[in-house]
Amino acid sequence: MNHSMTRVAVPLALAAGLLAGCGGISDLTKERVARSETSVQQAQQTIGNSEQGAVELQRAKGNLDAARKAMKDGDEKTTERYAQLAQLDAELAVSKSQTATARKAADEMLASIKQLRQEAERPTSPNDAQQRTTDDK
Amino acid sequence: MKPRYSLILAAAASAFVAACSSTPETIEELETARAVVPQVEASPRAGVAANNISEARKALDRANQLADKGGKVAEIQYEATVAARNAQIANEKILSAMARDEIEKGTAERQAVLTEARTREADRNAEYARTAEERAKSLERELADLKGKKTDRGVVVTMGDVLFDTGKATLKPGAYATIERLATVLKEDTARKVLIEGHTDSVGSDEYNQSLSERRAASVQAALFERGVEASQISTVGKGETTPVASNDNAAGRQQNRRVELVFQDDRSKVASDTN
Repeated sequence: MNHSMTRVAVPLALAAGLLAGCGGISDLTKERVARSETSVQQAQQTIGNSEQGAVELQRAKGNLDAARKAMKDGDEKTTERYAQLAQLDAELAVSKSQTATARKAADEMLASIKQLRQEAERPTSPNDAQQRTTDDK
Repeated sequence: MKPRYSLILAAAASAFVAACSSTPETIEELETARAVVPQVEASPRAGVAANNISEARKALDRANQLADKGGKVAEIQYEATVAARNAQIANEKILSAMARDEIEKGTAERQAVLTEARTREADRNAEYARTAEERAKSLERELADLKGKKTDRGVVVTMGDVLFDTGKATLKPGAYATIERLATVLKEDTARKVLIEGHTDSVGSDEYNQSLSERRAASVQAALFERGVEASQISTVGKGETTPVASNDNAAGRQQNRRVELVFQDDRSKVASDTN
């Protein structure tokens, strides 16, 4: 709901102040949109089909669409802002995905240490070891 | 246009901040940003996301200024969102850094556990080797006490005729002490094998002597089983009158020939005596 409110509110509020003076979109803003497009594509590649960051990626795409639309409408400031939000959401999506990967690796590490500890504490004599070898054959 | 916007805001306000003040100016994005930005700023690992945190602070300051001046809600929302997103990115970077710290620490810890385990395993093996050696030594001592003789077949302990009832395979109580000690030795080192051989003098038929020698060997075996010696450690054979150790021409010689021999095989000579 927060989201729909932003989407409606931002263009509405900006429309009044900006529409009048808007001619073309500056190269700087066009570059800004292009950079956000690249970031969203990269985030898409990083995240793929995984769950972590999927919501943020979706939001980044929505913001990018809004930036393109504003660009078509010749609304410089709105374009600039949606491009910035798309950029931030793409970065957040990637960060979330990276955190999930690092977290998983850390948890696996902790689990493997725990397992090693348990194995080390289990008493085994050379006889047991021989027994196991024989059983394996 | 304006009434529609007010409607949305009112709906949003009632949904989000029902319990809070009814001021329509409560902007959720700003509240979020005000909550999350100080959190990441206070993190001990804030250094890994200094850029995002600084951007978050700047945007939050702009949003606060706009709010103080009664600026446009959409402007405030935009700045607050930029602040909140930067703070969230910073938070993820901090969480990632913490996970990487754990991995680094874990790698060292894992190595330590592995080293410790190897040391323990080595200690255990050394301990086992030591006790095995001690067992072997105590076995040698016991066998020496039992007047075992070292031969090329291993150590031979002889149980004389006097330990059996005359012409029978039954052990006399006098044999029990010897049997007890033999059982102790064998139980202490279950890898140790013993061959029990029955022997007789030449008086009587071959068949009778063969049978008697077998029964006497079996009787010793049974006594050892009763005392908990493993079946796999013991084998028996009746040699009858074929292997005298003294002359059968006089009583003293014949008495020496009536005997049971326990052959304790060295681990090394085990194969050699098995082929006998």
